[in-house]
Amino acid sequence: MASQHNSLAEAAGPEVSLPAGKGHFKSDGLQLRLGILLILLTGIGPSLLGNSYWEHTFQLVNIYIAVAVLQNFLFVDAGQKSFGQGAILGLGAYGLAIASGIHGLPLTVGVLAAVGAAMLGGLLFALPALRVQGFHLGFATLSAAIVFPQLLIQFDDVTRGINGISLYLPALKTPLVLGLSGLTLLVTAVPIAALLLHYGIRNARLGRRMRVAAESAEAARSLGVRPGLMRALAFMIVSAGTGICGALYVPTVGFISPQGFLVELSFTLFFVVVVGGRGQLLGPIVGIWVIYIVPNVLLVQLVEYRLLIYGFLTLAVVIVFPDGLVGTIEARRRKRFQRGGGEQGFRLAPFTEMLEKIPPRQVPAEAAPILEVRGAVKRFGQVVALDGVDLKVRPGEVHGLIGANGSGKTSLLNVISGFSRMDGGSYSFRGRDVTRQSASSIARMGLGRTFQTPRIFTDLSVWDNIQLGLDARPTPLAPEMAALAERFKEAYGEDNPGLLAHGQRRLLEVIRVVFADPGLVLFDEPAAGLSPVERAEFSRLLRLLSKRLGMAVILVEHDLDLVWDIADRITVLETGSVVASGPPQELARDPAVQHLFVGGAHA
Amino acid sequence: MLNEIAIIVIRGVAIGALFSIIAMSFNIVHNATRILNFAQGNIFILGGFAAYFLADNAGLPSWLAMLLLASLVIAVLVAAQGWLTLLPLRDNTTEQDSWMISTVSVSVIIAAILMLLYGPFAYSVSGPVPAFRIFGVKTPGAFILAIAAMLGWYLLLSWFLRRTFTGLAISALSQDFDAARAAGLSVRRLQLLAFGISGMIAGSAGFMVAPIISVSPDAGLRYVLNGFIAAVVGGIGNNTGALIGGPLVGVMAMLMAYKVGGAYQDLASLIVLVVILMFWPQGLFGRATARRV
Repeated sequence: MASQHNSLAEAAGPEVSLPAGKGHFKSDGLQLRLGILLILLTGIGPSLLGNSYWEHTFQLVNIYIAVAVLQNFLFVDAGQKSFGQGAILGLGAYGLAIASGIHGLPLTVGVLAAVGAAMLGGLLFALPALRVQGFHLGFATLSAAIVFPQLLIQFDDVTRGINGISLYLPALKTPLVLGLSGLTLLVTAVPIAALLLHYGIRNARLGRRMRVAAESAEAARSLGVRPGLMRALAFMIVSAGTGICGALYVPTVGFISPQGFLVELSFTLFFVVVVGGRGQLLGPIVGIWVIYIVPNVLLVQLVEYRLLIYGFLTLAVVIVFPDGLVGTIEARRRKRFQRGGGEQGFRLAPFTEMLEKIPPRQVPAEAAPILEVRGAVKRFGQVVALDGVDLKVRPGEVHGLIGANGSGKTSLLNVISGFSRMDGGSYSFRGRDVTRQSASSIARMGLGRTFQTPRIFTDLSVWDNIQLGLDARPTPLAPEMAALAERFKEAYGEDNPGLLAHGQRRLLEVIRVVFADPGLVLFDEPAAGLSPVERAEFSRLLRLLSKRLGMAVILVEHDLDLVWDIADRITVLETGSVVASGPPQELARDPAVQHLFVGGAHA
Repeated sequence: MLNEIAIIVIRGVAIGALFSIIAMSFNIVHNATRILNFAQGNIFILGGFAAYFLADNAGLPSWLAMLLLASLVIAVLVAAQGWLTLLPLRDNTTEQDSWMISTVSVSVIIAAILMLLYGPFAYSVSGPVPAFRIFGVKTPGAFILAIAAMLGWYLLLSWFLRRTFTGLAISALSQDFDAARAAGLSVRRLQLLAFGISGMIAGSAGFMVAPIISVSPDAGLRYVLNGFIAAVVGGIGNNTGALIGGPLVGVMAMLMAYKVGGAYQDLASLIVLVVILMFWPQGLFGRATARRV
């Protein structure tokens, strides 16, 4: 760089900025505002009109909206398919009704009991979710939804069985302001709070990390996220919220019985989310309008056909508009106003230029290795993938790992990053034995990696995909890096990663892992699918990472020219064993690996 | 005491045979598509309703004829369901959202239609096999039919999946879709066939054991859950596992009913399911046979 004194923004500016398009990548803000309006409409509308029948009906509708909003968050942001949210609502309702309705405890205790009972139910769902996902969890939650009303009847000495529990709170029904009762205000505020909670979590670090854990557990662990913790947390947050809804259900209806919490309720809540649009903030609210309000309020004579209609509607939506009603509109909007992509869709240049301004970091020649693998053995059944591999990587070293397909390169990466356990041997990272550590805790110690198929999340903007790396950092960014991050944010904040070419997606993943500030990065075939220009950019970046930032790099790559050019040391694997290891020049003279370079320019 | 144990075992094995059959009907679809059909329980109940309307008190010949007819019709219906389920999926069935939703909604639709047509009642059906006595206790003949159906379907499926070209092709799908397609198999047709066969398994079983199940619109969920538990215990995709898992779950349920009362059966199932998923998510018997092609 000639003009070292230039401010970074100016230097990087022209490189990152793209032809500005209109529109935003997400419409969450708009959906949030529309959602609040719709909730206000069903929440205080009927009371303002003075129609007590509508008032009563819509109070319950608003509670269902809140439960569905929470289920939407659980379903998409946390990736947990629960068919049992009706039972969680019921647990909340019974918590309050038993504490305050039967035993006459104060309402604060009742509400705490409601939240506690719902969270216990959520724990029951969260426990299997630590181990299994998908249909397994679907069946476990479904079975809870079936059992719940049966238990209410069985334990009738606690729950009064089919007789139910009545609890009237007249104080809540007296008008407070503008003729609106406390209950009306509460059933309006709670769904709005649920919606704000969804919006808030989604746009925070926690929400992004949950989303990653939901979409790719592997990628999440490589970024230091514990997917199990994220799931459990999501279940607990949603259950607590649903418990509050349950507490509110009691004074709203005035009477609860097992009939109010049959498995059909859980199905309906699930269908509401799907029909409205999975993952769309506004989805569950529109879903309630279509599935619940219209058939129940406007087509009362059709009540018998309710479940049939729900079933057909949901089936039709899944087949014809898989994104749901709001999701389909959102997908159209995104397509029309999308930004990003093209040849300049994502480039490393601003990043490498910034790195070039950092003074080189000298790593002492005899620095302790950051990674030391001793006699790694990995077997898959009869196949021995790694047969006593030793490997040492020093800070700031680019270490090439080469060998034919099936020689054990990726197996070694998986073992080092903690994705699979060694069957023998041990290894230490940053001087600590991590042989038995989980992938996520190794990642938190500063080990990053990329994947053969880049893990790019198309529901997040290009910038948010980078931000996942920032989210994983243990320390705040250095000022110059922070300024660069700001530039990326401006340039890519509204860009659609779905438009990026394959090579660009790879580079995006590389930038993400670099922003996570790892001491050692494992690159699994990073250059596959890169154009010659991108390849040159990438090898420049690699060199800078190691020489300027002092990062150690393990590079698995089939492009021997690339490895040859930038690796400080190369290890050659053959059928799970190291056949040669050393600096490239030495290796070229080693008869054991000569055949690899036959005809090459370096022999 | 000994008599009681014998009765618990016989009844448990017979009830468990039903779970095992449903598990096998899960397995064939799962191996061919990675899909788990949530509607399988109501398809089973559909077989029970068919028995009530077509073959209540019928003689053996017409009972057999109706069994064949009902199984075929249900097979066609389930193949159609499979077509709908696969429609939005194209090649990628590992994405679970869409098929979970569509099979759950089909399950709800079947239950809702049965409810609208026949009300929330349980229909009793009498079958062609007379009751018999074990240790002095009268035992419905359908118990024998249940066990026979389990063994029959197990043997038939083993033969079909290992000895016929089409069966081998379906087994090949359980390994790798792309490889199967590259080998020239028409994946979608085989998957529809697998759906059809699963319908035939569940439908025929529901028909045969109608006398001992609750033929009512809301019974399907319980059977699908217990069938799923049997499948999980045996390892999903593993028919031999299902053959053991079903009776195991059945005997456990009977024991539970005997010790603490039948009302807690579903709770017991839930606890068994959660415990199995927590500690043996791959099932007690793994996926051994799914690998043997």
